[in-house]
Amino acid sequence: MYSDDFKPENYRYVGKNAVPRKDAAAIVAGKATFLDDFSLPGMLIGYTLRSPHPHAMIQSIDVDDAKKMNGVMAVLTYRDVDQEWKMGWPPQKPILCRHLRYIGDPVALIAATDLETARAAAEKIQVEYEILPCVTDGMEAIKDGAPQLYEEFPNNVVTPGYPPFQKDGPFWHLIKGDPEKGFEECAYIAEDTVEFAKMPAPLAPEPPGAVVRWEGGDDFTVWGTSQSGYILKIINSSVIPNCNLDVHTFNVGGSYGNKQSLGYQVMSAALLSMRTGKPVKVFQTKVEQMTAFETRLGSQVHAKIGMDKDGVVKAVKAEWVVDTGAFCNATQGQVGVGIGEAQLVMAKCPNWDLDTNIVVTNKQPAGIVRGYGGQELNSCLFLLIGRTMQAGNFDPLECYKKNYVSDGDLYTWRDGRTWQAHSINYVKAMDAAAEKFGWKDKWKGWGVPTWVSEDGRKVRGVGCGIIGNADIGEDNTEAYVRIVPDLVGNKAHAVLQCNVTESGMGQRSNLVKMVADILNMPYEKVEITPADTGINPTGFGLCGSRGTITYGHAVSSAAEDVKKKLFDLAVPYLEVAADAMELRDYGVGCKARPDKFVTWKKLIMQDLTLTGYGQHIENFSTPNFFIVFLEVEVDKETGRVEVKKMVGGTDAGQVIDPLMIEMQCHGGIGSASLDTALYEEHIIDPATKRPLTYNMIEYKWRPFNNFPEYETSILESQFDTFQFKAVGLGEIAGAAAASATMQAISNAIGVSVSTYPATPDVILKALGKV
Amino acid sequence: MKIQEITLYVNGIQYEFSIGNKFGQIPPGETLSQTLRNRLGLTGSKEACGEGACGCCTVIMEGDAITSCMTLTVDCDGKHILTIEGLADPETGELSPLQQAFIDRYAFQCGFCTPGIIMTSKALLDKNPHSTEEEIKEALSGNFCRCISQYHVVQAVSDVAGKAGA
Ligand code: FES
Ligand code: FES
Repeated sequence: MYSDDFKPENYRYVGKNAVPRKDAAAIVAGKATFLDDFSLPGMLIGYTLRSPHPHAMIQSIDVDDAKKMNGVMAVLTYRDVDQEWKMGWPPQKPILCRHLRYIGDPVALIAATDLETARAAAEKIQVEYEILPCVTDGMEAIKDGAPQLYEEFPNNVVTPGYPPFQKDGPFWHLIKGDPEKGFEECAYIAEDTVEFAKMPAPLAPEPPGAVVRWEGGDDFTVWGTSQSGYILKIINSSVIPNCNLDVHTFNVGGSYGNKQSLGYQVMSAALLSMRTGKPVKVFQTKVEQMTAFETRLGSQVHAKIGMDKDGVVKAVKAEWVVDTGAFCNATQGQVGVGIGEAQLVMAKCPNWDLDTNIVVTNKQPAGIVRGYGGQELNSCLFLLIGRTMQAGNFDPLECYKKNYVSDGDLYTWRDGRTWQAHSINYVKAMDAAAEKFGWKDKWKGWGVPTWVSEDGRKVRGVGCGIIGNADIGEDNTEAYVRIVPDLVGNKAHAVLQCNVTESGMGQRSNLVKMVADILNMPYEKVEITPADTGINPTGFGLCGSRGTITYGHAVSSAAEDVKKKLFDLAVPYLEVAADAMELRDYGVGCKARPDKFVTWKKLIMQDLTLTGYGQHIENFSTPNFFIVFLEVEVDKETGRVEVKKMVGGTDAGQVIDPLMIEMQCHGGIGSASLDTALYEEHIIDPATKRPLTYNMIEYKWRPFNNFPEYETSILESQFDTFQFKAVGLGEIAGAAAASATMQAISNAIGVSVSTYPATPDVILKALGKV
Repeated sequence: MKIQEITLYVNGIQYEFSIGNKFGQIPPGETLSQTLRNRLGLTGSKEACGEGACGCCTVIMEGDAITSCMTLTVDCDGKHILTIEGLADPETGELSPLQQAFIDRYAFQCGFCTPGIIMTSKALLDKNPHSTEEEIKEALSGNFCRCISQYHVVQAVSDVAGKAGA
């Protein structure tokens, strides 16, 4: 579907699914390589003995029996590891430490010839623990007298700011206008403490892992399950001083933002490799992934939101407590984006006081998951925005249209700088999605069901939520496109050199399509280099839905650069100016004279190649947008909620890959998004603090035979972003789904529900039945 | 201990193993997933949860889709096993219709769950070539896909079910 001002371009590949993904045949044949399919000669297996206590000090540890076992090559404890080699930002946590801060915190590391031997050795390690009082709630953790996790973080509050993101200084507190005065002008105000704090699991199918080979000196070769080798490199390069990591990745089995820096996996394998002189693989079990790897951040917010009589938000005052578990791995960046995304949905609001605290607690680390802070804050704030809309009896769709960012609006992004929205307006996309869903008919008002079964037992309600993100232009990135004449014949191929890991988005193939379009050559004749930080120019990978704009821009610019060089070389042959030339059939031709033509092979000197270079410079001025409409059915007897129908809507600019963008929308159901409103949560035993949802049997996830009807509504426009006029989408597809679900449930049963997840117990309580 | 020998037929090739704890033998506790992946180099099926919950390790044994992480190799004596590597035509390399349908429908994102999903679907279609959408979803209820490729997977499997000869 096109928005009015869009004239579709007829590209050869972009915007179509005329060719399969480059790795498609390998994936369906089981030939695609994932980390656990890979092995090196002499490779050892690394295994971690973990803390059974949420907060403890190692009193004594005896590893002698473990070391003596046949096949055990190394056993390391905190005594063997430099305590200044710290992970996280700010650097806080030694790779192995005497002070244990969560159930699952590493106690000892073993390298053995096989996993069974390593596990048997772990059982032989004798540890005595001094058990310390623990704190597992973010708001409790900042109170005076709460158990302290790190000396560096008084009151468990993490130092704000993340320098790579915030070059002008830390940004954690948004102050704008005069909130107190703003509230005076508001007709409707809601104030409450709300939370989205069950820290659900992103749960990529492939667990996190790494193979590390110490090359001697400062050099390490790393193969990781990271969706971005470059992020892994920059985050881990400061742990072991001066270390130089050459990072390779394979196909990655799902990440959803979660498998990026892999600090512990990489550093533990690096330590074991240094000690043994052999390559070491650390590949976590599903239980380790679910209990000791990073999960979604916890979010508790006390907020006051005011709306004027026309439904425009005019004042926001909020304190946001972000629970990052026992480890802070640049959570400051997520806080910056959360603050930014809140402004995009309330973009006309001139008065802000949004303060934040990141706190550490004795729970598994919480870190990056798709939605990146924005989803966590949105899920809270929308409960309150909903109350102001309800007080004014506004249709949420109409309110969103008035409040969502559009061309010309100003906002402060995660770098602490002010940006102005450019070239975007999503009102038409909201209307188009609403129409597809049938919102006009289904919306009956706040607290009013759209349908009630005859016996009154089952009720249906609708809700909608919006979100957007300006990170889609984040981070500088570069690319080369090299034309390589074929050795035999007169054709050529092109090599796209850029650092992009395939973790499910099909973006490697889409970048190839862009090159093939610009050079007007077959897709099959364009290759892309493997993801590797050593041979490729800089690229941050596909985080923050940045792939489309940032790589699209760098790659298209590189292709245009080489095109320009070919035109320059062709002038003596064609005797016309560059603007009269075109690329065709592996050569340069004259547009007006079909017979005037020279092959690339002839233009490029014998045995040499011709390279174009392109770059993208960070830019936060074109936020994307996603709206989700959904209808739920609630059984008032059992409290069970079922999502019956969903419509996901956006304007993507030029669609690059129609089928993949549809799947990106579907993806909003997974990875701790939609279902955080229904049943996805980490449950912790209140007595022992042990995670009860430690595996895929205990943790609730949506099975194949229980998916709602899903329709997409994707408009196309021409945004002024890069050569192909598109914006990226993926990350936000599910980010507003949880808050929309709460709205729909509340409308269905006529009682406001604001506890995530809305399990049967929560529903029955709301109905006064238990 | 008496030496026990077992024979497996994997993708049409016969393998004989001896069971025991000596180097090169299959320990009684080894799972079929470990044998296929680590000994035979058949890494197409993935091991993710190791406890029967995700279906990533699915292979077909005697016509049934099974989770190879929950199956002990010692219990597979004499069994015929088909893995994702055995689906394409061994001579021409041509993909099976089901594999081709997954490509045509873009029925995967990261592809980690895909071999397991294809094997479960294949076992279903072998038994019930005209499976309905409901039957397909039901059969796949043990296959976890977190990227959410379910909608396209149902289309791909339904395409093949729809085309099956009467
Ligand atoms: S790995 Fe076998 S079912 Fe998950
Ligand atoms: S395609 Fe990634 S889990 Fe299914």
